Amino acid sequence: MNRIFLDVHALQTVPPSNLNRDDTGAPKTAVYGGVPRARVSSQAWKRAIRTYFKDEHLLDPAELGVRTKKVVELLADRITGLDASVERETALKLADETVKAAGFKTEVPKRKAEQAKKDGSPAPAPESKYLVFLSSRQLDGLARLALEGAADITAFLKTKENKARAKELADTRHSVDIALFGRMVADVADINVDAAVQVAHALSVHRVDNESDYYTAVDDKNTDEETGAGMIGTVDFNSATLYRYAALGVHQLAANLGQGLREDEPRTEPVRRAVEAFVQAFVSSLPTGKINTFGHHTEPDAVVVKLRTTRPISCVAAFEDPVRSDGGGHLREAADRLAAYTFDIERAYGDPGTTLTWVLRVGPATQKLADLGTETGTLRELAAAVGQAVAERLEKPA
Amino acid sequence: MSRTSVLVLRLAGPLQSWGASSRFTRRTTESAPTKSGVVGLLAAAAGIERSDDVRLAPLAALRFGVRIDQPGTRIRDFHTAHHGVTGASMPLSERFYLADAVFVAAVEGDHALLTSLHDALRAPVYPSYLGRRSCPPSEPVDLGLYEDARIEDVLTSVPWQASAWYRRSHQTPQTLTVLRETAADEPAAAADVLRDQPVSFDAAHRRHALRTVVTAPVPTPIPSVGGPREDTHDPFAALDVLEDESA
Repeated sequence: MNRIFLDVHALQTVPPSNLNRDDTGAPKTAVYGGVPRARVSSQAWKRAIRTYFKDEHLLDPAELGVRTKKVVELLADRITGLDASVERETALKLADETVKAAGFKTEVPKRKAEQAKKDGSPAPAPESKYLVFLSSRQLDGLARLALEGAADITAFLKTKENKARAKELADTRHSVDIALFGRMVADVADINVDAAVQVAHALSVHRVDNESDYYTAVDDKNTDEETGAGMIGTVDFNSATLYRYAALGVHQLAANLGQGLREDEPRTEPVRRAVEAFVQAFVSSLPTGKINTFGHHTEPDAVVVKLRTTRPISCVAAFEDPVRSDGGGHLREAADRLAAYTFDIERAYGDPGTTLTWVLRVGPATQKLADLGTETGTLRELAAAVGQAVAERLEKPA
Repeated sequence: MSRTSVLVLRLAGPLQSWGASSRFTRRTTESAPTKSGVVGLLAAAAGIERSDDVRLAPLAALRFGVRIDQPGTRIRDFHTAHHGVTGASMPLSERFYLADAVFVAAVEGDHALLTSLHDALRAPVYPSYLGRRSCPPSEPVDLGLYEDARIEDVLTSVPWQASAWYRRSHQTPQTLTVLRETAADEPAAAADVLRDQPVSFDAAHRRHALRTVVTAPVPTPIPSVGGPREDTHDPFAALDVLEDESA
């Protein structure tokens, strides 16, 4: 099999902030190289990436998925959307049967049903027992199938052929974020999708001890007799230069996405667009924990992207020995270390014949990284260059 | 009889998590890599699908051992999730990780099979991770294939893999702990039993059987010098000079 991996490395400085909290409200931490570090969990950052896809309209909404238990209602909406003459109750029935044929168990939520009985309102729609992640395109396919068998849906879906079609519709043409981040449905093993992306927890390149900000707030309506604050409290925070890393199995993404969706586009188009969107979203997304308190809106100071035919390699070990500030921040030393480590690890384990490298960087502190690969001027250029190279490599026979 | 070789892996990274008995919202980690985790890593590299029990079987039949070179620290991660559509909170969960740990894992078995797995590690179908997908290894994991060898001997001779900072700040221990499966001709009386023998990784019917584990210390082998891990920046070197001057 033709193996293609993309690994993305970023150095990003965040000012005092609390991007990702633990149960006490303090920023998450880890221990690495024997000292405490700031940590942002991979889950938090993946959520930020998904949100970024949506907010920045990086991809057509039809390519994005929705995670819900209300899959029956959602499908019923599609059915009435396609054919307005179908009554709501019929649409729900059609949807329920189709969802079940696709392999999901559904049930009417008990508490809602009892409440509806009390109120005399119509019975609620069945819900799937687990969160189901379906793309818009998948829902459209299922809606059309349901309408095809609308005359007698039970008999229609009883035939082996139609049942298989329902299953297939739920299992092919995965939306981009399902293809990237995977789908877990606990009771339908055969339509699970394994994620093509591996996102590591972001770690600070230096020692970080959380700090605590004690604050008081004035009650504007206090009279002179009532001295003291309206309220007091503390907010925990830290500031950090983070090393962020993700690896993308391009061949796996291609398998998850399927080939060209339209006649008029190249076979590799869906993968190219997904890769571009991922690079852009991974670089620019930011978890929003306490963002209005701290306003930690930053972009990475440096990004290194590698396209390989052998295993992806994390460079986190460059920072196992924590960077110590010389009074001028941590970025310059971090960039120097990342450049030196990348050279070393590539010499020892890399595959210089087939590995392509791109660099996007800001400011003189990141100068040493310039020699690692092709410098790109903007994030958009970086994403386009990576997408182009991925498409070319996919076109090549194994 | 076919030749028996040993494939050795270095499992190191900021975070690892090796669950053996986790269910529901509390996801714990063992204090050393599990056989099911390491066999899963090898199967993923070889591109064996989760549902392919037939191709998994020869991998699961390999004899497994692991050495604790740097035990690491257990950290707890508090995890919240929200409903994709309604925004409602999902059940909270706790995930445990080993931070800062280094292990040497080894599998023993048919030479040809191990050669193919060794190649797969360098150009894997699915990339490697240390027990959980968000825990990539900090360096390539393969430490080499030892031909005509046994786990006991390899885990006694592979140099101590602890990180440079750990070796600086800790005294070299007299012994390292090895957890390994009993050999075929070895009495199982002294062994512990763990439900960690992978039978199927199929999401619909994931199953693990029992396996025996012998815990034994080995004398700490001398760390090798040179190699990519040794020539990292060492600010403490400057301090040594200062100490010499003040002495």
